Amino acid sequence: MISPVRVVVLAANTLREAVRSRVLYTLLFFAVLMIGTGVVLATLTYVEHERILQSVGLAAIRLFGAAIAIFLGIGLVHREVDRRTIFTILSKPVSRAEFLLGKYLGLVATLWLQLAIMSVAFVAVSLLAGAPLPHQTALALGLAGVEFALIVAIATLFSSFTSPMLAALFTTGLYAIGHLSRDLRDLGAASELESVRAGTRALYRLLPDLESFNLTTQALHALPVPAGDVLFALCYGAGYSALLLLIGAVVFERRDFK
Amino acid sequence: MSGAPREIVSVEGLVKEFPIGFGLRRKRVLDGISFRVLENEIFGFVGPNGAGKTTALKVLMGLIHPTAGRARILGHDVGETEFRRAIGFLPENPYFYEYLTGREILRFYARLSGLASARIPERVELLLDWVGLAHAADARLRTYSKGMLQRVGIAQALVHDPAVVFLDEPMSGLDPIGRKEIRDLILRMHADGKTVFMNTHILSDVELICDRVAIIVQGAIRYEGRIQDFLAAGELETDVVLASVAPAFAEALERRFGPLRGKGEHVDLKVPAKALHEVLEQALASGAQVVSVTPHRASLESIFLSAVQAAAAPSQGGRS
Repeated sequence: MISPVRVVVLAANTLREAVRSRVLYTLLFFAVLMIGTGVVLATLTYVEHERILQSVGLAAIRLFGAAIAIFLGIGLVHREVDRRTIFTILSKPVSRAEFLLGKYLGLVATLWLQLAIMSVAFVAVSLLAGAPLPHQTALALGLAGVEFALIVAIATLFSSFTSPMLAALFTTGLYAIGHLSRDLRDLGAASELESVRAGTRALYRLLPDLESFNLTTQALHALPVPAGDVLFALCYGAGYSALLLLIGAVVFERRDFK
Repeated sequence: MSGAPREIVSVEGLVKEFPIGFGLRRKRVLDGISFRVLENEIFGFVGPNGAGKTTALKVLMGLIHPTAGRARILGHDVGETEFRRAIGFLPENPYFYEYLTGREILRFYARLSGLASARIPERVELLLDWVGLAHAADARLRTYSKGMLQRVGIAQALVHDPAVVFLDEPMSGLDPIGRKEIRDLILRMHADGKTVFMNTHILSDVELICDRVAIIVQGAIRYEGRIQDFLAAGELETDVVLASVAPAFAEALERRFGPLRGKGEHVDLKVPAKALHEVLEQALASGAQVVSVTPHRASLESIFLSAVQAAAAPSQGGRS
């Protein structure tokens, strides 16, 4: 039985570690700088200044968020084992699943805090440039947060049984594939062979579809976003993350900490 | 009501094997060990480096899964979680989140241990005072010395007031003052009614504070029992100092007991208790003077070394 209190204690401590880490502030500084760079890039064009500014800003948020998620996620569990901090924690009435979940939620909270700061910078730059801020912008930023949570889940899974180097390789690979999985599906659908169509469909269902969380175009052009799409993306992100954490917990449960 | 002390830890036929390389071969680190720890005793789990002490302790702490056998603490299988409210653990060379202060880390562990929120501030301040860290409570742990971290380790193990405390090499790497302080803390835990399980290879500490010991060598228990019984089982030896020893008698002694230690006219030799009478008679008959005869019990260290050597002898080729 998972104890919410212990999970929250572990998550709060993970968030506190991030807040007290200097590396994180450096990354955040560069992310905000990148958002500001959009202002410079926008001056290089005669048309659609605001759209370019916001396009660069949203891309910077998604890219830096993913980078921070991978950077912090790959060492999330390994660091605790390597430094042996896990020994005293697991000697308390804390199950391994609670430990993994607490670490995961703490990192997701960290990512969301960073997303909030980057979003404030994005909104400030947009307002200064007189760019419109339709409600789709909030949806795009919100779903970016769900994508970050999924990336952290991928990194947590790999961090639960492998080294940071391999975890970085696997997570970055899945991140890249996750943004191309729709293309893979569409490519397969165009095939005349049923086996290829079925194979690519199965692969698409297995791999994460990170484009489900990309509402950049809708935000930039104020295009309508069906509520069903948002709901699906939320459920898909939560379900996929939960599944990855469950696999991670099973693997983690079997480990020996020598 | 029975007067027999309650079994706090019981280990039966515990085996642990680790895969080597690609898992095709396995290394047996614990070879079916069994022992028990009784209520309110200081139990010394003693063995040389690599004997399997830490592996056994990690099995007890649920950090390593046993290959076979059974280990129970307070009647619970060590794979369970909730009963850990009643145990505390200090790992060897403990490492803590260095971005936290002494006070913050104790609050963190107290919350994880399920201590009631209302009791946490009082317990944390008590423990900080108890381990002598009240003055450094608000300093980050990265500024702490090794001895201070060891005391934080003891404080986190005790913050939830457990009935049983497991310590892995608690005196390791500490200076004599630090070791004395930790010894005093362990004796205090014992006086408070706690059961203490201590992994160590520092035999002088074991002799000073442990009630019972188990000696583990090469993954097998060689002895388990009261430390007084253990020492009594050791052979009684006698230091004999002679003067005016004739060369022929000196040669005969050397042939029997090895090279003699001499200082001026005096010759010093160690004689087993059973040979003492005969040696003294021969010495007096040869015209030597008996300067002193001092019997003494073999130390835990010498008995321990004999056990290690005896265990190593039949398996000189190494085990895997």
